[in-house]
Amino acid sequence: MTTQDLLEKIGLKPLSKFEHRDVDGVFVSDMLSDVMASAKSGNLWLTIQTHKSIVPAANLVDVSAIVITSGKEVPQETVDLASKYNIAILSSELPTFELVGKLYGLGLGTK
Amino acid sequence: MSECQHQWEMTNVQFGFVVFEKCFHCNDLRTYFSAEDVPILGDKYREGDHFWSRVENAQSFRFDLQCTECNYLEKFDDLMGLLHCTGCLPDCEVEILRKKYEAQRTWILVAFGFLPQAKTEPIPSHKLDILTDYFNQRRDTSRSRIKIVPFNLIEDLSLCKGDFIHDVGMLSLEPPKGRKPLF
Repeated sequence: MTTQDLLEKIGLKPLSKFEHRDVDGVFVSDMLSDVMASAKSGNLWLTIQTHKSIVPAANLVDVSAIVITSGKEVPQETVDLASKYNIAILSSELPTFELVGKLYGLGLGTK
Repeated sequence: MSECQHQWEMTNVQFGFVVFEKCFHCNDLRTYFSAEDVPILGDKYREGDHFWSRVENAQSFRFDLQCTECNYLEKFDDLMGLLHCTGCLPDCEVEILRKKYEAQRTWILVAFGFLPQAKTEPIPSHKLDILTDYFNQRRDTSRSRIKIVPFNLIEDLSLCKGDFIHDVGMLSLEPPKGRKPLF
C-alpha cells in the first residue's frame, strides 16, 4: 500500500508536495512526544494537530505521511514546511475513529 | 574500547513536562523536567536575586538509549529537547549547517540541555552522535538522514526563533495554533 493508493481508495486530500512512498502501519496520536517515542518509520500518522512542529516530528521518525483528520484546517506555513521537507500532509474530513476503521479495512494495522 | 556496532533502542521512557521559567528581573531563562501531573503555569516565586515565573509547560518525555546487542546504556536525562531551526538568523552556524546538509537530504536538529547548566556543561558530543545514530537506525536512510548538533552553535540564543519539538497548550479546547517565543 502506498500513499498514492490511499489517495485513491480513501479520498484523502493531498495538501503538500511530496513523493509517494510505501505505507507501513498506522500510528494515531496528538502528542509529539508520543510520536517521537513510539511511531515507526513508514507509519501513517493520524492527528488533529496542525502546528508546523508536526513536520520536524514527522521527519524525525520518518513517517510516510501525516493525515490531519476531522477536517481541521492546516496553516499554510505547515504545508509549506512539509513541502520543503518532502513530507506528505494529507487531509480527511472524517473523524479519526472512522478513518482508522477504513484503514483497518484496507489491511493497514499497527506495524 | 567497545567493538560492538551498537543497535539502539529507547528505554526508561518517562512522560512529563519541560518547565520554562523566566526571571522578570534579569530575563534569565531556566528549564527543568517535571513529572508533576500538571505543573502550575504562572507560579511566581523569589529565589535570591531572581524573581522566577513559569512561562511555559511543554509536554515532553525523557529517555535513555540502550544497545540491544551489548546492553550498554547511555543516559539522556540532561537532554531537554530537540529544536527545529526555522532559519531566522542567516549567519547562525546552525542555519549555515542546515543549508549545507539540505542538499544531502540530511536534516539538522539542535539538541538542548537544560538551562542554565547546559551553557557551561553542554551535552557531550559522543552522546549527540549516539542520538544521531539512534534516529538514523529508526529510518530509511536511503531517503534522508538526521544529524543532531549542539545548541552552542546558535549564534545568539536571545534571538533564536527555532521551534522545539514538544507539545504546548494541550489543555486548550482546540489544538494550539501559535507558540510563545521562549528566549
